[in-house]
Amino acid sequence: MANPLRLYLACIKNTLEAAMCLQNFPCQEVERHNKPEVELKTSPELLLNPVLICRNEAEKCLIESSINSLRISLKVKQADELENILTKKFLRFLSMRAEAFQVLRRKPVQGYDISFLITNYHCEEMQKQKLIDFIIQFMEDIEKEISELKISVNTRGRLVATEFLKQFM
Amino acid sequence: MQCSVLDSNFVYVSTSTLLETQGTEMLKDISSHTYEVIKNIAVGVIDIVHPPRLGFQLTLKLHLDNIPRGKEAIKTINKISEIQALILSNQLKEMLKRFNFQDDSQAMNNNNRPIRIVYHPSEPFYVFRQPEKITAVFPMNFKDNSDVVIAMSFFQELVEVGSQKEMEKAPQCSWSPVPPFQLRGEPVQDLTTNAGFVSFDITSRHVQGKRLDKTVWNLLNFYAYVKYHIKCSRGYIQRRMRKRMDSLVKQLNNTRLVEEAPQKEDGRCKYVKELVKVPKGKSMMQQRCKDMTRRVRISKFRIKINGCARFRFNQRWIYLPRFSSKSSNKSYTKMD
Repeated sequence: MANPLRLYLACIKNTLEAAMCLQNFPCQEVERHNKPEVELKTSPELLLNPVLICRNEAEKCLIESSINSLRISLKVKQADELENILTKKFLRFLSMRAEAFQVLRRKPVQGYDISFLITNYHCEEMQKQKLIDFIIQFMEDIEKEISELKISVNTRGRLVATEFLKQFM
Repeated sequence: MQCSVLDSNFVYVSTSTLLETQGTEMLKDISSHTYEVIKNIAVGVIDIVHPPRLGFQLTLKLHLDNIPRGKEAIKTINKISEIQALILSNQLKEMLKRFNFQDDSQAMNNNNRPIRIVYHPSEPFYVFRQPEKITAVFPMNFKDNSDVVIAMSFFQELVEVGSQKEMEKAPQCSWSPVPPFQLRGEPVQDLTTNAGFVSFDITSRHVQGKRLDKTVWNLLNFYAYVKYHIKCSRGYIQRRMRKRMDSLVKQLNNTRLVEEAPQKEDGRCKYVKELVKVPKGKSMMQQRCKDMTRRVRISKFRIKINGCARFRFNQRWIYLPRFSSKSSNKSYTKMD
């Protein structure tokens, strides 16, 4: 893993460890309702300061925390048009299947490519440390997968072009 | 296609492959060799009608009764459907053969006007003569933006591979975002593209002997080739994404606090359930049913003798509904 990436991920991991202290908190406005406060943002006293971690201009991570929920939004590097469409396709594919992931948000926050929403219920069902490790691993896997896809598409194109031109010879 | 109630055993099929140059249609006559090939496609089934119907190059009379049955019928019908492609490919072959690659004076005259060839509707390509070569230009258009990007990366690879030393015998390939100046005056809708223009330079080497058939086939099917490559690339991307998603879901499921308990703890066999594949509600119901059954059976037998467990469990004291995934096993009653 390159040094800048490792530092970036370490920073995100430390921030998540500090931010993922969630507890059950019923809604203050509606009786018998329990809503993730980070999504509603109606009570400022329940929200923590959002933290923005930038690796560079193209890659950043926004961590918004509240008393009973945590939202993590990621912006992934897209160097050229091909990476752009591969990233969009892949992250949209995952977002549309958010129910399989449970902690994934179906629609990313504006300005970002993918978002997670972790509530106190998720922290009760899952181990906090492993959940943080999963998010870090997710970020690494996404970057690796998009690079591999790009290389695969270019390699396939090259092979197909070679076969096409060989037919003339 | 024409058919008549009075003459129901016959169908008349008319076709034409118009080549255009500067908006003027060139009705190229079909050569005798092409006529022979068409007649030999299905002897007894196809008759060529002279003269052809007005506005068409060729009219065929098909004897429906003489079409063989079974698998042969499909082969015959496929060959009949390829007649238009056959005519166009023969016309292109003759055009390429007639062009004299050594006579540059023809290229300087007005004889190098581009010829518009339409093999597939809305996908025309142009062929024009240049000194010592013939250039085929393909305006590329795609509906989806992601198709455009995949196609552009393919064209980039095509140009790079074509410029390699090993491929010097293949036609020189180039890509341009703007049409070549030779296509000035052509219809605007043909020259409006979102993926640029791909050009192939055909030399005399590529039209000699058996290579002529391959060259013509490759030129006529270039669009189909590119579209098939894009379709396969998209399918490959989809498979990779699905595989990666499955692995990520498995990783997430490993973070759960409560792990699935093994059914038999005596070490003889281990049972691992994949939560990813089995729906959550169904697996919970099954587990509860098994736990309840086991507790009821254990409570009935206070004296436990090792080795006789199978005799105990074969007796059914209480009937409990079974939840089976097999569709044939539908023995359940609706509870009000």
